[in-house]
Amino acid sequence: MEPKIPEFGRFAEPSLLILVSLSDGPKHGYAIMQDVESGTGRPMGAGTLYAALVRLEEQGLIEPLAPVERRRPYRLTAVGASNLAVQLRGLSQFAQQGLRQLGESQP
Amino acid sequence: MRSLLIRLYPARWRARYGDEFEAILDERPLGPFDVADILLGALDAQLRLRGHGASILQERGFSMSLRIGGIAAILGGALWPVAFFITAGNRGDIGPIDPVVARLLLITGSLALLVALAGLSAFQARTHPRLAWTAFALPAVGTIASIVGIIGFQLNEDYFLAWALGTITFFVGSTLFAITTYRTAALSRGAALLLGVASVLTMIFLMSGGANPSPILVVIALSLFGLGWFGLGIQAIRLDRPTTEARPA
Repeated sequence: MEPKIPEFGRFAEPSLLILVSLSDGPKHGYAIMQDVESGTGRPMGAGTLYAALVRLEEQGLIEPLAPVERRRPYRLTAVGASNLAVQLRGLSQFAQQGLRQLGESQP
Repeated sequence: MRSLLIRLYPARWRARYGDEFEAILDERPLGPFDVADILLGALDAQLRLRGHGASILQERGFSMSLRIGGIAAILGGALWPVAFFITAGNRGDIGPIDPVVARLLLITGSLALLVALAGLSAFQARTHPRLAWTAFALPAVGTIASIVGIIGFQLNEDYFLAWALGTITFFVGSTLFAITTYRTAALSRGAALLLGVASVLTMIFLMSGGANPSPILVVIALSLFGLGWFGLGIQAIRLDRPTTEARPA
């Protein structure tokens, strides 16, 4: 059975970007911001980052590790990894369907 | 300023996230975009921890984005020149539109451009924080002066100086913003150049005193001013496309 994807309202997009950023290993907040910005070309403010991190932590999709100096890294939980995979598969299927339809409609 | 911003978050939130949040704020210069985003984040945290969380978690939330800045730039870029023409045409209070309405339109356009200056300045402030802050602060002061001017107008006081101050600050702020944007290439350099040239030209025309520039020149300069903001806004919205949209390779 696939895990239920929590709703994050306005923070759905930042949450997905954070989960993707953490998919290759634990990162602290500033590293996540840099990763998201370099991947999307869009700025992510600290307020948005922490609003999304709090929601992800509450939903058990990420967990905090011991802080290094004042920086606290976060990592994906098993539920978070599974949840991310479901979301990405959904996006991929959506994109493939769109491409297929586009291909079929082309002369 | 950093500790003041963190204090806006609820105590319970600060106890858990305060140290690491402060560490992030220490990593790079804060610009208007960052401050606006933190203010919205603090509001979000306050609402959630005060028992409005059930609906806020699922439905709402507050965050700053290029998209908000882009929409504000388009709105302000369209509204501000139009409101300026109406306001200028109403000199002597004999224009076709109520002078108070005209000035309220100008203030609405000014507020939209302030949101644009904050929303579009994220990357510029990383390398030119002072320039980015000055570009935001001058029009912010000018908007306050304009609001004071409107109140003075209602009280039959001399409001023109406050209104003129509010107007000029927007061209100075827009020029500085155009310079930072051009130098960092954070958004379209062409639109930034257009905005900068139009702002300087308009300032020259308006401050030429007895030279009385042709109204058509002022109209052209102000139209280019609006187009500059429009171009920057369109590009910001295009950059802030949802992740679900495919990006060209």
